[in-house]
Amino acid sequence: MASADVEAVDFEPEDDDLMDEDAAGDASPQAPMPKLKSAITGGASTSLSGPKKTKGRGFREDDADRHSRLASRDFESLGTDGGPGPQRSIEGWIILVTGVHEEAQEDDLHNAFGEFGEIKNLHLNLDRRTGFVKGYALIEYEKFEEAKNAISAMDGAELLTQTINVDWAFSNGPSTGGFKRKIMRSGRTHRSRSPRRRY
Amino acid sequence: MAAEEDSGEFYLRYYVGHKGKFGHEFLEFEFRPDGKLRYANNSNYKNDTMIRKEVFLTPAVLKECRRIISESEIMKEDDNNWPEPDRVGRQELEIVMGNEHISFTTSKIGSLVDVQSSKDPEGLRIFYYLVQDLKCFVFSLISLHFKIKPI
Repeated sequence: MASADVEAVDFEPEDDDLMDEDAAGDASPQAPMPKLKSAITGGASTSLSGPKKTKGRGFREDDADRHSRLASRDFESLGTDGGPGPQRSIEGWIILVTGVHEEAQEDDLHNAFGEFGEIKNLHLNLDRRTGFVKGYALIEYEKFEEAKNAISAMDGAELLTQTINVDWAFSNGPSTGGFKRKIMRSGRTHRSRSPRRRY
Repeated sequence: MAAEEDSGEFYLRYYVGHKGKFGHEFLEFEFRPDGKLRYANNSNYKNDTMIRKEVFLTPAVLKECRRIISESEIMKEDDNNWPEPDRVGRQELEIVMGNEHISFTTSKIGSLVDVQSSKDPEGLRIFYYLVQDLKCFVFSLISLHFKIKPI
């Protein structure tokens, strides 16, 4: 079949892909973090990348309860389609806005983010001590496209004299920082092809 | 501070609870280094269901969590002079950030009056407000994602 080669080319890693864009747009690449075991829930195995300065009464107590509470495996989560990328919440797509001015009002957020779609939910939490805005907002859109457009257009934009950052709140899998792209590409043979998206 | 926020290991666990006539009632959440947020809320009052939820957070959310912790300056505090956990309840706050690892315990704090009357009002006030800000952050994340009302 002559068309087989053409198909193969289509699946080259360089090919544009929705998920790739998400990883590339990640504003805060992190060093890969080793699996951390709490000194409390997992015994005294804190020596991961060098000794840590420890402080507090929690190190001097032994509470058997603590070993089991969060160790359980039956935590509910929403199903994922596997692979990295943003995860859908029950009723829509949630984005996180950071760098929000402490005197921002809900209206300011609605004005800036309403143009990408109807805002189904907005949490603009306050600093409990000062009563001013804590600095972040969580916004829910019904549609993936609305949330994605808001991220593309507003990440790095200015709101009330401050630069804001906008990104997805939830992800389908572990945040492995710089390794995200590599892992994704090695596993791409199992994924169906995403539609091309360009703005 | 910027370095603490942007890189290095990160782990956080908060617990508040007590054991009484409705059994072991507690609320606990945990931010793991791989981005998993775990939330557990157990109350045997009225219904005996344990709520256990988990979801992966993006690095952006973890970064904001680290910012909230850094700005509180909780890592500079010490629980030496805080009220000890008692029959009324206990709170635990464990954080690993950078090369520091704190594991603080104290009693439940009803209001700022308890903070003022303690032997370390400055330190306990930082703890008191940080815990509220963290709960607020976690409740928003959990309630938006799962459409449940925590507590």
